Amino acid sequence: MKKKILIANRNEIAIRITRAAHKLGMIAVVFQSDREPDALYLKYADEVIPAYDSGNEKAVFLDPELIVKLALENNIDLIHPGYGFLSENPDFAQLCVDNGLNFIGPSPQLIRDMGLKTVAKSMAIKSGLPLVPGSDGPVKDAATAKEFADKIGYPVILKASAGGGGRGMRIVEKSETLERHFKSATDEALAAFGNGDMFIEKYLQHPKHLEFQIMGDKYGNVVHLGERECSLQRKHQKIIEEAPSASVTPAMRKEMGDMAVRFAKAIGYYSAGTIEFILDEDGSYYFMEMNTRIQVEHPVTEMVTGVDLVDWQIRVALDEKLTLKQEDIHISGWAIECRVNTEDTQNRFSPQTGYIDKIHFPVGENIRIETGVENKSVVTPYFDSMIAKIIVHDTDRNAVINKTLQALYDFNLIGLKTTVPFCRAVLKHPEFVDATYTTRWVDQVYVPEMLEDEDDEVIGALAATILYASEYLKLSSDIPTYKNDRLNVWVLNKRLNY
Amino acid sequence: MGTSYIYKRDASRLFIALRDNGKRFKLYIPKDSKPVVNGQEMDIAFLEQEDLHYVFQWNDKRFNCEIVGRDQNKAIVKVNGVEYKYSLESIFSYIRRGMINTDANKLDENNIISPMPGKIVDIFLSEGDLVNVGEPILTLEAMKMQNEITASCNGVIRKIKVQNGQSVMKDELLVEIQSIDV
Repeated sequence: MKKKILIANRNEIAIRITRAAHKLGMIAVVFQSDREPDALYLKYADEVIPAYDSGNEKAVFLDPELIVKLALENNIDLIHPGYGFLSENPDFAQLCVDNGLNFIGPSPQLIRDMGLKTVAKSMAIKSGLPLVPGSDGPVKDAATAKEFADKIGYPVILKASAGGGGRGMRIVEKSETLERHFKSATDEALAAFGNGDMFIEKYLQHPKHLEFQIMGDKYGNVVHLGERECSLQRKHQKIIEEAPSASVTPAMRKEMGDMAVRFAKAIGYYSAGTIEFILDEDGSYYFMEMNTRIQVEHPVTEMVTGVDLVDWQIRVALDEKLTLKQEDIHISGWAIECRVNTEDTQNRFSPQTGYIDKIHFPVGENIRIETGVENKSVVTPYFDSMIAKIIVHDTDRNAVINKTLQALYDFNLIGLKTTVPFCRAVLKHPEFVDATYTTRWVDQVYVPEMLEDEDDEVIGALAATILYASEYLKLSSDIPTYKNDRLNVWVLNKRLNY
Repeated sequence: MGTSYIYKRDASRLFIALRDNGKRFKLYIPKDSKPVVNGQEMDIAFLEQEDLHYVFQWNDKRFNCEIVGRDQNKAIVKVNGVEYKYSLESIFSYIRRGMINTDANKLDENNIISPMPGKIVDIFLSEGDLVNVGEPILTLEAMKMQNEITASCNGVIRKIKVQNGQSVMKDELLVEIQSIDV
């Protein structure tokens, strides 16, 4: 009998997983949330379960009890959580397992361990992964902090252990100012959180975000599929990702990849996972965290390795043995993913909601579109603003940058603003082209004027003038001095259309 | 490219679009030919239009425009995903609002006076017409020679003080021009 897979997610990833389910001959089942009853992903699924969640505080995708209840009622075999929502919630994974549902992901215990930073870090240390040099716990006073900072080198960052939102946080450039900063940060933390405990850590001035994709089965086999660079972020969320990274040499790739595999094996990891590193400009790298789910940017890895990650995720959950061998995995060419979010990149990336009148995607060989919307779709305020991903593959980095730029020029959306012009500006920027960009690019380099284009400016003036002229010529027709033809915009347009 | 005969001589079709960054575009929207931007005929094709959405083609590139904001003479246009703000003026309101140089001496400088005594044998333009710098306005016959009198600035013909066939003295005012040069 065909297996039924419930996708506890929405948007493009629900469609992506539906595709993987069909490839394996399974029945793809999705939820229909009242918050988004006409979403595109519903059209791809074989079965739709109405969630009737309009009266609920949480949408169905965030409601473990409701998901499991509906899964049991609908004879579901497997549950794919996608990314976000409950994908890294150990209680949800446990609830699935307890009810005999096959949760697609690692064991609930590993999700829990990796979700606790201190636990994850201590497990990483055991496997020999380097961590950013820092104090193991709170430092007791300024003198101790100074002693420690002098040892690891400047700059350092002081972080309130109860901190958040930048409060109780100081970057210290040199030894002489440490005491002063320590005091003010402690006072600030005390005032804000009632707890003045301070951690101290090495501060990376030009950090890059790297992550290694791994895939493991339930028999202890683990491979890595190379790295992705995801340094281009705004508000700590990725916008552009690439694979491989221009900052990783083949020797580094082997070293870091082996390290990632060793770590995954040591903790008994299976399914798809990502091990995140922060890379310093001197080439040193440090373990940050492990993500225990499929990631938004998984397609760039798929395009350079030819491996279907979601397919393997499901097969591993069905106790299949991994047939991928490390020596068979090769990185071929270069891939870039641009996230299409409906947000105003000219105005602090504020999200935009509303109707999509029309949407047009680029088409071409080695251009992959993952979208959750179509013409006339609605972008609601209930979920995040990512509506699509444009993924492009080519022979090398320069080629793929140019091909992606062209693809972005071919994209058009009427109704809402998107991150596409922002992505174009990034791809044209010298720091992206020479791959020296860091996670601070948006904060330190980006200004909205980068989005502007002189030709666009002329055409904009023309469009505005045509609109204005059509009205003006109508209105002014009674001014005796100047003859007018009572032109309206339609006639005018026709005449301009030679 | 000769620009002297591009304007179809209807000043009511000349507009000024001022961007929020201070950039100024002088646009002539002709009846039956290509738009003229800052005195240059542009090879811009108008491909399609639907409501407030326009598609142009220029230099083999497509431009998707969407009018996303409108308030009296202000417009916000989204071009290829990026918004630009403009305020729009007809050339007449532009002149009225004194947004260009209205210095009295400067005005006089642009008027056409007769360089020599003679007879007006041809007038090419009429009041209210647009004129480009260097464009002939009228022909003055003097000493059996026909002299084309040309405009000294880009502007609008305000007043033509002479008629065809009229004899004029040296330094006589022939044509008043309102400059639209900035």
